[in-house]
This record gives sequence, structure tokens and C-alpha cells, in this order.
Amino acid sequence: MATTYGIIVCDGTPCINSGARTLTSALQEQLDKHGLHDKAAIHLSGCLGMCDKGPIVVVNPGYTIYGHVTEADIPEIIEEHLVHGRPVARLAIQEDHLYNRFFRVFGDAKFFGKQMRITLRNCGIIDPENIDDYLSLRGYEALAKAVTDLTPAQVVAEVETSGLRGRGGAGFPTGLKWKFAAAQKATPKHVICNADEGDPGAFMDRSAIEGDPHTVVEGMAIGGYAVGASKGIVYIRAEYPLAIKRITKAIKDARAHGLLGDNILGSDFSFDIEIRLGAGAFVCGEETALIHSIEGARGMPRPRPPYPSVKGLFGQPTLINNVETWANIPVIILDGANWFRTVGTETSKGTKVFALAGKVVNTGLIEVPMGTTLREIVYDVGGGIPDGKKFKAVQTGGPSGGCLPEEYLDTPIDYDSLARAGSIMGSGGMIVIDEDSCMVDIAKFFLEFTQNESCGKCTPCREGTKRMLEILTRITEGKGQAGDIEKLERLGDTIRKASLCGLGQSAPNPVLSTIKNFRAEYEEHIHEKRCRARACTNLVTYQITEKCVGCGACRRVCPVGAITGAAKKPHVIDQDKCVKCGMCFNTCKFDAIVKV
Amino acid sequence: MPTPLDLIKKKRAEAVSRIIGKGYLSTKRVYVGMATCEIAAGSKDVMEVFQKAISLGLTDVYLSQKGCAGRCNLEPTVEVIESGKSPVKYGKVDKDRAMQIIERHLKNGQVIQEWVID
Repeated sequence: MATTYGIIVCDGTPCINSGARTLTSALQEQLDKHGLHDKAAIHLSGCLGMCDKGPIVVVNPGYTIYGHVTEADIPEIIEEHLVHGRPVARLAIQEDHLYNRFFRVFGDAKFFGKQMRITLRNCGIIDPENIDDYLSLRGYEALAKAVTDLTPAQVVAEVETSGLRGRGGAGFPTGLKWKFAAAQKATPKHVICNADEGDPGAFMDRSAIEGDPHTVVEGMAIGGYAVGASKGIVYIRAEYPLAIKRITKAIKDARAHGLLGDNILGSDFSFDIEIRLGAGAFVCGEETALIHSIEGARGMPRPRPPYPSVKGLFGQPTLINNVETWANIPVIILDGANWFRTVGTETSKGTKVFALAGKVVNTGLIEVPMGTTLREIVYDVGGGIPDGKKFKAVQTGGPSGGCLPEEYLDTPIDYDSLARAGSIMGSGGMIVIDEDSCMVDIAKFFLEFTQNESCGKCTPCREGTKRMLEILTRITEGKGQAGDIEKLERLGDTIRKASLCGLGQSAPNPVLSTIKNFRAEYEEHIHEKRCRARACTNLVTYQITEKCVGCGACRRVCPVGAITGAAKKPHVIDQDKCVKCGMCFNTCKFDAIVKV
Repeated sequence: MPTPLDLIKKKRAEAVSRIIGKGYLSTKRVYVGMATCEIAAGSKDVMEVFQKAISLGLTDVYLSQKGCAGRCNLEPTVEVIESGKSPVKYGKVDKDRAMQIIERHLKNGQVIQEWVID
């Protein structure tokens, strides 16, 4: 039986402008001419990201990409490639990057236009529970290439050349980590995937594992080969049942195909992966605490060095990377470090996944090249602020990060420029804040989180965050005192410098960055007992305006009987009785109640 | 002896033919988003509607689940890919919309523009 072909014509605007639309009918004509209409199907795709080489025609299977195709080339493509099975070398271009496969989803150009999907390349495209889907998209080819053509040292060198940095938040060069682990003489060595995602509002790792678990499995196996480990562990939080189910199935299926286990694909390399469930403590995302948790000890960090790559799990050399870092590995091996380096900025290569949330039209899981500006993310990908509200800040890095106001919107996303701006890249939470949110309240929210999650081992973090939270609470309740801001700054600085692990060292960031960028709001709370966003309950009073028609709805819902007034006459709120629950405000149909 | 690279290429070819054997070359392929977030938004019900339609005789449709495509505010999402046409993605699909997608789009080839994500 002759092969069945799928022909993809790029239907992105640049390709249309260079004449792609005429190709479709020419293709159809040629297919009919050769009687191939039931052996080949023509598809139109969104932008394939190769605009400079358009119009683009792709022939599947094989993913042969033809560039600068004209109508005159069509008969040759059909005759040679489809009839005789010989791809036309003259027109073929070597741009078979894995990320291109995401084109199918690129249909929604507004949302995906600025995105580039490397780690999420299969997410939302394949059936994550079917290994065949992954295999069909060159799955496990990177692993096979590594064990066939590359020595472990060459794999390490490739990762080092790629410039990949840890996606868990700190941005440590991944290649260096691999090099340290590979250099250790002690055996056995371990490989760990850190899937203990804990930032409030972040769901990148969960989505990545749920959408494409095999990428992580393959990345870990390559890591095992590179550093000489035979065992891998995925440490994932128990709150992610579907992700656990899918990665468990992926591991089982990979074993059944000889892609994990003894003598992978007939080679000398043996590697297997098991799953460990975390109970959901935030601190267990810190690598040394995570290792303690796997060992069965209490999840608490320890001072480094020695780093896990030297002395990690059970005292053995351990290579530990985040989910997103692992997901980059197969692409680097297949498409090459030199290609990977072309994406991103001078100091940060590749892409970054963000969980875009908050006051933005398109909330979602996005992946953009490093160097994309915050403005592009908020306005182009995110579609701007809903309901005509004003942008106030964007919060990156979750509870370890900071809030950046409007003047930082043109900051390109990379580890260093975000740090210079006073925030961090973090693991990828990104929350957009509009004028209705109070910055003191937001700082308090994040500090409350880290304070709760502090493991209590070191004093600065345990006691310091508690004291900071007390001060913040006081300020939002209208009991702020002169000198509170300075006290917060002093405490924050001490906690940052003296804490044992990343949790404590970064815990003051939301407070310090909001003081730096929104100091006026703190001062208003303290000195004028006023919250401009009207979000701090104790600083708000509810008042009834002349719009009141006297319907009595507010009077009936008020739980403390603070509202009085005769029927069809304006009502009044007794401020001494009012508990500021907001029931009247939500009930009024005439917008007659205002927050002041 | 075949190298691991030879073996994986063979595995890929086998995987492709297995997928085709499951009807991948049907004129219409339907993907239902089934990540935690999509399921929370109700995609399991949507999936059931499609499964039921196929068990009741809807033909020439390849049905598959997929992971998160990132459109949190528009979930559950359903993607319909048809030979020779740009992919169509529907947002906020519930049971009722799923049934209409089957009746109007899959059976009659009519794209329901007002639910399409642009």
C-alpha cells in the first residue's frame, strides 16, 4: 500500500502575503492529476514561525519542510515526493525543530503569536496517556541519540553549551550542575525530578506533566546517562492526582517499550524511575528539604555546601532538576545546543513557561522566549486588563518574588533583568494586579503564606516573618505607626541575609518590593488610615448616597441592623454598628452605596 | 545489530501505524482537553458526549484527549481538525455545545463561529 501523505500549507499572514493561498489549489490540482486525492490530504496551519522562508509547505510523514515554494514547484513536489517517495532536496529546508509541531495550536494567533513552545511543545497536542502519540513525534529519539552517538561527557557538554538555567527559580546553570554530578566518583548516583510545585497560583509543572509526561521521563533518562546514575525519582505532590496517574502510566509504558529498565534499547545503559509523593509542604520544593523528605526524614533544609550533586540523596551524588528544566533536555539533544542558544537573551537562553493569572483577559499557561517584555505578556498574550480597569503591577515569582509597577513593563524577561528590577523569575507564577487591589494587602497575603510554610528550623525565618506579618496586619487594620515601614525594611533585610534556605531568603521580597515601588500606599495606610484600593476592610466605610430610593433591600440584609430609614426615603448607615461585611453594597441595585 | 537509534525509528514507525490503525486519518479529528483544570471545568462530560455519539454510530471521527493548551479562561476546549481546513477550536464547551458541535460541525460540516476561539 502506498504511503498516505498529509500536506500542510502554512496559512499565516506572512505566508499568505508571499502567495501561500494559490498553492492550495495548485496542490489539489496535481493530486487529482496523479489520482492521489484519497492518498493525501491538504491541511492549512497557523503560522509555523518560519516567516522569512515562506510560503511553507510541509509533507508528512517525515515532516519535510519546503520553503519559498512557488506554484511552479508544486508539480515537482507531488511527482517526486508523493509519487516516487523522493523528497525534493532543492526546496527542503532544515528547520525541523521540535517546537514547530505546536503549529496546530497556533490557530489562535492572538494568544499564541508571541509564544514559542519548547517545553510545552506537545502539551495540548498529543494524548498524554498514549506513548504512541509521543513516539510518533520523535519521542525518545533524543535518548536514543544520546546512547548511540554521544558519550556521557558529550551530553553534559551539550547541556552546558546550551546555556540552559534551572527553571525552578534560582536559575543556576544546569550544565554546571550536571558537570559536578558527573565528576563524582562515588556510586550509586541518583537523579531527581522536583515536581513539588507550591507557589500559590502556579500550575506550570502540573500542566506540563499532565500534558506530556514522557518528555520528563526522557529528560531524566538522558540525565541519568550523562551523570552515570541508574535510578531516578520523581518527587511530586500528592495534590496532583491526575499528574501522578499520567506520569506513572508513562513510566510503565516506557518500561514496556524497553525505554526504561535494564539495557535501554539494547545498549549498556540501564535506568529506571520511581515516584515519591510529597505531602504538600512548600519548603520541600527546596532541594535539600526535598531530599530529606524522600529519605523519610522531616522535610527541612540543611546548609549548602555540600551541594546535592556532591552529597545528596542518602549521601550519594544526586542530580536534581525542576520539571521544566528536564522537559528542555530532549529538545537540546535533538535540535542541538547551538540552536537552543539562538532563542532568548545573552544571559538567559530558551523559553520560560508562566502561569498567567489575575486581572488579565486571557488567563492561561504560556511559554515565551526569554527577552519577551512584561508588556508583551500582559497586553499581547494576556489581552490586557478586563473591564477597562487600570494596570497597577505585575507580580512574578510567587511568594518569593516581587511586584513591578508600570515603569518596569518594558523589562525583558530574563533572570538578571527581573532581579535588577527587584523581583525574580521564580518558577513561573505571574499575577497581574489592577487598581482594585491594595499592595499592602497583597504583600500581606504572600507573607502569610511563607510564614505558614516556614519550617521553623532557623530563627530569622521563623521569628522574623512572624513579626513582619504582625506589622503588616496592624497596618491594614488601620493601626499602623510611624516607623513601621523602616521596621519592615530592617527586618526584611535581616531575614534575607540570615535565613538558611531560599524560602526565608526570599520571603521578605513581596514586602520589600512593594515598599520600594508603592511606598505611598503604605504611608497612606499608616498616616491617613486610608486604603486607595478600598480593599482593606477596616479602612473602608460604607455610605449611602442621594441615589437611594428607599427600597429597603440593604436594611433587610444588614446582619447587625446598622441601616435605618423609612420606606421610599433615603436610608442611613450607623457607622458605630457597621461591621463592614459589604452585604448592603452587594445588594443595592441602584449603586447608592459607596465605599469610602 | 541495530543501534538504539535504529530501534527508536522502528518504534516510531510502528507507533504511527498503530495511531493510523485507530482511525487517525479520518476526515475529522476531535481533541478534548483533559487536564485537571479542564476536567474541573467539565470536560469529562463533554468527552462522554463524543464517546456516546461514536458508540451510537458517528463515523469517520478520530477522538482523542489532550493536555492543557493554556486557555484557562475558555475551558473546556474542544479542537476539531479537518482535512484541508484550518483547525477549529471551541471554547467553554459544555454538554449542550458538544452535542451541537456533533450535529452541526461533525455531521454537517458547519463551523459554529460564535464559539470559536480567535
